[in-house]
Amino acid sequence: MREMSGQNRFAFALILLSLLLAGCSTQASSKYFGKNNVPKNNVLRYISGSEPESLDPQVGTGQPEARIYTALYDGLVEFHPKTMEPIPSIAESWEVSKDGTEYLFKLRKDAKFSNGDPITANDFVYSFRRALKPELLAKNAYLAYPIKYAEPYNAKKSFVKGADGKFLVKSDFESPDAKVEESPDEKVEKDKDGSGSQATTDNFGADTETHRFLDEPERLAVPSDKESLDALVKDKPKLKAAVESGELVPVTEEHLGVEAVDDFTFRLKLFQPAPYFVGLLTHQFFRVIHKGTIEKYGKDWVKPGNIVTSGTFKLVDHKPYDEVVVTKDPNNWDAENVRLDGIEFYPMDEATSMMNIYKYGGVDAVYNHVPPAAWNDQIKQFKSEYLNFPEVAIEYYTFNVTKPPMDNVKVRKAFSLAIDRDALETFRRTTKTLVDFTPEGIFPKYEEARTKVYTELLKKQGSSLEEWRARKFDPEKARKLLEEAGYPVKGSTGNYSCPDFPINDVALLYNTSESNKDVAEFIQAQWNQNLGITVPLKNMEWKTFLNVRKELAYKGMGRAGWVGDYMDPYTFLALFYTENNDSSTGWYDPKYDKMLDDANKEIDPQKRFEMLAQAEFYLMQHQPVAPLQTQATNWMKKPYVKGMYPNPGTLHPWKFVYIEPDESKWTQNAEDIMKISDPSVDQHVDRLMASQTSVEDKAKRSDAATKKSGE
Amino acid sequence: MSESKKEIKGTSLGKDAWKRLLKNKLAVFGMIVLAIIAFSVVFGPMILFWTMGITPDYIPSGIDNGALVKSFPPSAQHLMGTDDKGRDLLARVLQGGRISLMVGIISTFVSFIVGVSYGAIAGYLGGKIDNVMMRIVDIIYAIPYILIVIVLLSVFGGPNTPEFIQTLADSFGGGQGLSQIFLLFLALGLVSWLTMARVVRGQILSLKNQEFVLAARATGVTTPRIIFRHLVPNALGPVIVYATLTVPSIMLTEAFLSFLGMGVQAPYASWGSLASDGIKNIAIFPWQLIFPGVTMALTLFSLNFLGDGLRDALDPQTRKF
Amino acid sequence: MINFIIRRLLLVIPMALIAVTVTWGLIRIAPGNFYSSEKKLPPAIEKNIREKYGLDKSWIEQYGIMMWNVMKLDFGESLKFEGQSVNGMIARHFPYSATIGILAYILALIIGLTAGIIAALKQNSYFDYGSMALAMLGLSVPSFVLGPLLVLVFALWLYILPPARWGGISFLVLPVVTLSASYAAYIARLTRAGMLEVMRSDYIRTARAKGLDEKTVLLKHGLRGGIIPVVSFTGPALASLLAGTIVVEKVFAIPGLGNIFIQAVLNRDEPVILGIVAFLSILVMLFNLAVDISYGFLDPRIRYE
Repeated sequence: MREMSGQNRFAFALILLSLLLAGCSTQASSKYFGKNNVPKNNVLRYISGSEPESLDPQVGTGQPEARIYTALYDGLVEFHPKTMEPIPSIAESWEVSKDGTEYLFKLRKDAKFSNGDPITANDFVYSFRRALKPELLAKNAYLAYPIKYAEPYNAKKSFVKGADGKFLVKSDFESPDAKVEESPDEKVEKDKDGSGSQATTDNFGADTETHRFLDEPERLAVPSDKESLDALVKDKPKLKAAVESGELVPVTEEHLGVEAVDDFTFRLKLFQPAPYFVGLLTHQFFRVIHKGTIEKYGKDWVKPGNIVTSGTFKLVDHKPYDEVVVTKDPNNWDAENVRLDGIEFYPMDEATSMMNIYKYGGVDAVYNHVPPAAWNDQIKQFKSEYLNFPEVAIEYYTFNVTKPPMDNVKVRKAFSLAIDRDALETFRRTTKTLVDFTPEGIFPKYEEARTKVYTELLKKQGSSLEEWRARKFDPEKARKLLEEAGYPVKGSTGNYSCPDFPINDVALLYNTSESNKDVAEFIQAQWNQNLGITVPLKNMEWKTFLNVRKELAYKGMGRAGWVGDYMDPYTFLALFYTENNDSSTGWYDPKYDKMLDDANKEIDPQKRFEMLAQAEFYLMQHQPVAPLQTQATNWMKKPYVKGMYPNPGTLHPWKFVYIEPDESKWTQNAEDIMKISDPSVDQHVDRLMASQTSVEDKAKRSDAATKKSGE
Repeated sequence: MSESKKEIKGTSLGKDAWKRLLKNKLAVFGMIVLAIIAFSVVFGPMILFWTMGITPDYIPSGIDNGALVKSFPPSAQHLMGTDDKGRDLLARVLQGGRISLMVGIISTFVSFIVGVSYGAIAGYLGGKIDNVMMRIVDIIYAIPYILIVIVLLSVFGGPNTPEFIQTLADSFGGGQGLSQIFLLFLALGLVSWLTMARVVRGQILSLKNQEFVLAARATGVTTPRIIFRHLVPNALGPVIVYATLTVPSIMLTEAFLSFLGMGVQAPYASWGSLASDGIKNIAIFPWQLIFPGVTMALTLFSLNFLGDGLRDALDPQTRKF
Repeated sequence: MINFIIRRLLLVIPMALIAVTVTWGLIRIAPGNFYSSEKKLPPAIEKNIREKYGLDKSWIEQYGIMMWNVMKLDFGESLKFEGQSVNGMIARHFPYSATIGILAYILALIIGLTAGIIAALKQNSYFDYGSMALAMLGLSVPSFVLGPLLVLVFALWLYILPPARWGGISFLVLPVVTLSASYAAYIARLTRAGMLEVMRSDYIRTARAKGLDEKTVLLKHGLRGGIIPVVSFTGPALASLLAGTIVVEKVFAIPGLGNIFIQAVLNRDEPVILGIVAFLSILVMLFNLAVDISYGFLDPRIRYE
């Protein structure tokens, strides 16, 4: 019996221990979540997410890389630390041409690389050209496609030189079936414009040969390899004849719409207006890199010792999967305003370890989405540390509209209506209900315009905004729609069933992750409760998932999320743009494309937003997706870290961040962090903004003057 | 003399072993605990449902706008508390136990079938064939199989499951989660048959020249029949001992794979996947790790004791661990 | 003996190649590409990528190229991490895993042997039962449960040991203890059993009969025999140590080879996967060989043909 009692004692000890654990851990309710170890050397320790793919800003594509690139590289423009709007960086100021296709940047003269070399407009030309070089295989290249001839160059296309020595022009070959039936009044309007867009950009900055070339009507660009070319010209006799009689001239980097007018003036030419484009230029992909280093070391240029950077910090060491250490670069043009002496980025993958090390006091801040949603109730008590703000990101389920039953819009609507989004919000704790396709609470001006447009459009349909908003959960209507689609829902509350529904033709596909699983299970339960349909869940590992979803090889629904690349609703709406779009739904509508194009041609921002809102309304009428949530940037920072804001992309321009050793100045309530002014940060931003504001003011004044004289 | 004769007459090998096993208190403890766990795992979910109306998969999302969808500490309503989604943890632990034990037992069974056939054939045929077959075992043995299992599961996990496994899973009620479990059976079973094959071969080698085999061969019994009707049944003792010890080790491996996110998938759960869910919340909801973790540890503990006891009882000569 | 070693060494290469082939086959059968991303790649870019990585060649050609490179011990470059050679990655990340693995095994040997010997000498004492029950517990609690529990106590309540990452000695304590627990338990059980068996054997009886003092009998003769099971356990232990370090590296966010391997599998980073599989296979096989050879020195009864 001795052994027996020994065993029992062990079991008891174990249970006692576990009760002890339960007891101790729940009672922790001090002011701070864990220990505050203020770094004595003024070096911030930040968890940046997975190991960066590369320190080359044109190669790495993800957020984990972007968090590091913002320290290492400067671009024409920088993020505003709170709003993420573009603010001047190496470009002191910029102007946009009247037709919106041309940008002129005035560069500051004191910008330097980390090795002391000056940064000039030629460096930007080099950076943009390299970014689009086909051999670089940059996955982000699509971001630059609004730039004239960027896509043809990047995709190795060729111009066609006709027999007469003139290059073929694209507009001559627009196939009629791709054009949308235009309503008569639109046509009239277009005719009134008459001139087309080219003429107006003349005399914008210095007149050069490149400039004249770029101002010519857009040339036709066709694939260079025989196979793709044949496929393209197959059913287009006119194009075929023209291509066959002409000569293919490859598009080269010289054709790109980027130009150094002089050492400190940089000019960009776009295919068509893209009012969001300056905002996009904050992206890592457009930041400036050092030509000499890259040519000398090739791929190895990013290794510590070789690398030359352009940002406020320079690289000291990079130990993969361990740390990326950067230190303040005294050569940087803004060095005197940079507060930190350095940053240690810790690449990590496990949220559990991150939260543990944060609590232990081993890091000063973590990136967004690290605190598990389930912790929210407990962790939001630590008001000085926990930040939960809307993110420029959405989560939704795609419908594969190419396969029944999801090819029926009524079925799609039914499945979307049967999700109780408010319950999902409560369950997820951090995210916010979403019924449209652009995130809520991120673009206030757009939302204003959208409310206005929706009210009008709904009135026309005999509906109202309230009714429209009720789409966040309407099980009654969902069942009605299903019935109309031929799948009547039988039974009563708590006991629905839908025997006719082809359950074997649908599944809910998501990529393996804890939170995706949680949401999928939650929504599976919702559909079961409200429609009596138990949709099977399928999860896949990321790479496979992407392929399956992209190829539309899934049946029914697929999980999707989208993080905005820049601060404009277009970054979301463009997911459904063109036939070969990235929505992974199979939904495409030329009418929708046209609505987007027209909106982007509009110069007045508010009017443009209204036109985009019309497009969004049109999109949601077809319900190719079931929107779920606006994501939240929930993350944590120690109270002594200041100048770090929960902006919509949680990308931090590190020059504004500092460590505050004086406890009385620590963050008290993070909920007010965006409202409370921090003089040191705000004045810094104002100083930077001054040059651009004066240019804008001047433009406004001259605008007003022309208007007056016109009247 | 006459007394001992009586004793010999009265005890078969099995009975003798059973007696020795009962003398081993640790093994008895293990058996009792296992019996309790097996009973709760098989009938527990039903009892819970009838008495409290609790099911392991119920997410109370329809009530109070989802306010109940969160972790609650242990209470009278939920004896082990709830998980992140407000699901009753006791029900989930019981349900998870079914899967864990099933993975352990069925994978062991797979390894048993493969290992016994392979080992017996090699041992009986002997000579060159034996040599080649055993070299193959040596080679596979030397490969760090866990790496290959990880690649296998990540590559064939989820919807990439091979056709025949999916069909098999479908015939049992289907679903992706189930085919993942079937894949686990296969993956774990196929890597743990090697030692089994060695053990069986050793046994067969020592048996194959005994009279009963020679007699069978002389009367013209076919080779397969000799192997599977005469040799294998006589070699089963040590094999069963080894199988008992394989169950906990496979359960541990399954838990390890679940921890890596490659094991049992939703809607199914195993003790391993429950514990690994619990780890994520250990800093604030420790019961979510402790209950599945302790239940799993207790089961493995008992299985190990039982395995030890069986070995001692069936084979009193060896006292190795 | 030398013949034996040479024969075994020659076997290592084909065996590693088999491991690599199986792994390669598994990766290639799988759907999904390493270059998948959310945005659709323009066909031209996709074509560029396929050409660059030789995916446009036939399977047999690709296999041949891969095998040839593996035989040259040149695993190429990571597909995910631009410009990083696989050999460089292994060289950089293996030391982390080796440090933890070796320290954990040493700790396990110290604890396991001590506990096992004392338990054997004081058979049926409280120490014996206590340590053996503890050992069984060590075998039954998975390391991914033990690790977080230790973190909870020592890092999150007491704030005395860091819960994750790599740094000074203090960063090593929790991972090493976590990893060593189950090995210490196993070794303790093996040692106890081995000692008990040896102490009952004839040659110990002879030694005692010769009038040698108990200490000499125990340490010189007993331990040498009792330790054999521990040595033979070391071979398989290394293989399972691999799995163990994967868990520990994941729990404690250590940039070791296990973590790299899991990431590579998730990223479908084929060269890295193949490189690590080949490297670890060879390592495990060489280690097994070393274990087999060391038998010869420990147990004079074993002879190699």
